Amino acid sequence: MPDFARARIRRQRLDFALFLGPALVLLACFFIAPVIVDLGLAFTDMDRTLKVTTFTLENFTRMATRDSRLLASLGITAIFVFATLAIFNVTFALLLALITTAVPRGLGAFFRAVWLLPRMSPSVVYALLWLWVVDPNERGLLNQVLIHVFGMAPVDLRNNHPLMVIILANGFVGASLGMIIFTSAIRSIPEHLFHAARADGAGWLAIVRHIVLPAMRWPISYMTIHQALSLLVSFEYILLITGGGPFYDTTVFSLYAYRRAFENGQYAYGAALSLILIVIGVVAALALWRLMDMRKLLQPPRIEVH
Amino acid sequence: MATGTLEARAAAGANADWAALARNARRKRIAGQSGLLAFLLLVSVPILLPFFWMVVISFTARSGGVSTDVLWTSCAVIAPAVLVYIVVHSTTPSPRLRALVGVALIVTVAALLALLVGKQLHFANYRFLWRTNIIEEIRSKATAGGQFPSVWRAFFNSLALALTQTAIILAVASLAGYYISRFAFRGREAFLQGLLVLHAFPAMTLIIPIFLILYWSGLLDTIPGVILVLATIELPFYVFVMKGFFDGVPWDIEMSAMTDGATRRQAFRLVVLPQVRVGLIAIAVFAFIRAWEEYIFVRTLLIENKNWVMSLYLFWVSDDIMGVDYGIVAAVSVFYVLPSLLLYVFCQKYLTQMTIGGIRG
Repeated sequence: MPDFARARIRRQRLDFALFLGPALVLLACFFIAPVIVDLGLAFTDMDRTLKVTTFTLENFTRMATRDSRLLASLGITAIFVFATLAIFNVTFALLLALITTAVPRGLGAFFRAVWLLPRMSPSVVYALLWLWVVDPNERGLLNQVLIHVFGMAPVDLRNNHPLMVIILANGFVGASLGMIIFTSAIRSIPEHLFHAARADGAGWLAIVRHIVLPAMRWPISYMTIHQALSLLVSFEYILLITGGGPFYDTTVFSLYAYRRAFENGQYAYGAALSLILIVIGVVAALALWRLMDMRKLLQPPRIEVH
Repeated sequence: MATGTLEARAAAGANADWAALARNARRKRIAGQSGLLAFLLLVSVPILLPFFWMVVISFTARSGGVSTDVLWTSCAVIAPAVLVYIVVHSTTPSPRLRALVGVALIVTVAALLALLVGKQLHFANYRFLWRTNIIEEIRSKATAGGQFPSVWRAFFNSLALALTQTAIILAVASLAGYYISRFAFRGREAFLQGLLVLHAFPAMTLIIPIFLILYWSGLLDTIPGVILVLATIELPFYVFVMKGFFDGVPWDIEMSAMTDGATRRQAFRLVVLPQVRVGLIAIAVFAFIRAWEEYIFVRTLLIENKNWVMSLYLFWVSDDIMGVDYGIVAAVSVFYVLPSLLLYVFCQKYLTQMTIGGIRG
């Protein structure tokens, strides 16, 4: 092999290590390795001593036969994910995107910024806001409104309707991502279609029905899967607002796995529960993958000089 | 029958009052627009009001209670001003007039507020900023002290964590994004597809094994450990965002730099990187805000109070003295939320530039 060819191969390898190396190392250590560790851990008996003594299928038999709380948490998860998704993350997000693109541009951008506020503010602060809103005494913001505007008796949502509180709290954050993606999808519809429709006498609803919605099929299916997945695994606001309580009333599946591991010290059982979520996550990720514009993404690079 | 209607229509069109039709259409348009704006205003109240309530508590609460009339008085002053501004904004296209009205309204609102509620405002709740053991003093009535670090310790921990994590993401994501955007290498497609799966995959499910990996490697309860974890789990997203920005740079610039004798790495550093400045700023802002607000991972991976970041500090403050002193909890929240909020408001135009695989995020 001539010298220059060998030098070229060496430079290619060096480039690979220099540009891609750091990302590969980080992903291997803190993304791929955890998946493998979890897979192994699910078949052990690790408890709060963090020691492994035997390998066993015990976690899975416990899940299938003896854990009645697991079944309850699956029910809660189904209600939580479905309600939040159907009310806020897709429907309300679509509504916000449609309306903020129909009003003057500056005002639309302002209201989108307002709806992004919960996502951009720290989760602990956001959760505190909710605690102040649903505070059961007469100082709670909701109760102030109920008492002084509607003349009603104060309510205690956090104890009496905890599921509603976590659906609302997650929905107010969740609507914003769909809103942004749907907005840019609406913006990318060619302007002349709207003009043509208006010239034909179409009203706002007809335009939405016949021009906007057909163009939104892919973004909507993408957001539905993406948000279903992220609602399924995220428990941050639930942990902060209700702590999964009262008792286990708002402990969704992912929070249940977390509480088993970090509250009860049953790390192996928590890992086995997470394994189910990991499998669902991989399946959903593969489904999302089909919805992305693969051709554009995988387009071969145009400069190949090294 | 059909021809009859058509003829009738044509006849009507011939002697229609065009001015009246235009008036009618304009009226309908204004009604529609006001309806939409009213809806947007209505649904935004539940978001803005709690934030405003937090600010009001932090400036008015005295230990033992919060007064609610300041909240409603200021709402009564601010709400009409907002309405007036929206009407002005949607009726006049002139930016000068808009700005003029905006400034006039802000001055009026400020004057009215100073007059009506000015006397009830105070800064005492912010004394945690200089009397750093105040939480201990309030708490010590109930429990033994020595658990709360100074707020500045938490603040600088948060700052260090967010800045370092941002720097790592900037470096790693721009290197990797450039490589997958420009270089052909064996297994490129497989790598991209794998990265895409990782991007869609929810890292929150990995929190138990991540906890163990940090424990085994001695990085548990250290800030560098958390930085590495936080930087990694969002990395696929940032790599794709950067790839998008690099894809948008025309390759002629690079080519001409290399024809002029630059090496590939020089071309990257001196020619291409300045072209994606907007992308770098966007991911830096986004990464900073994400790290600043992180809660679950820091709660799980940081234990000792010398390692507390702002989210943990606020959580424990609210956990311990919420029942005793609303005001300080609200003041700490305002102090904590301010940096990320300012960044968000001032860098919003960069954040909207991020796209990934044809879908903005």
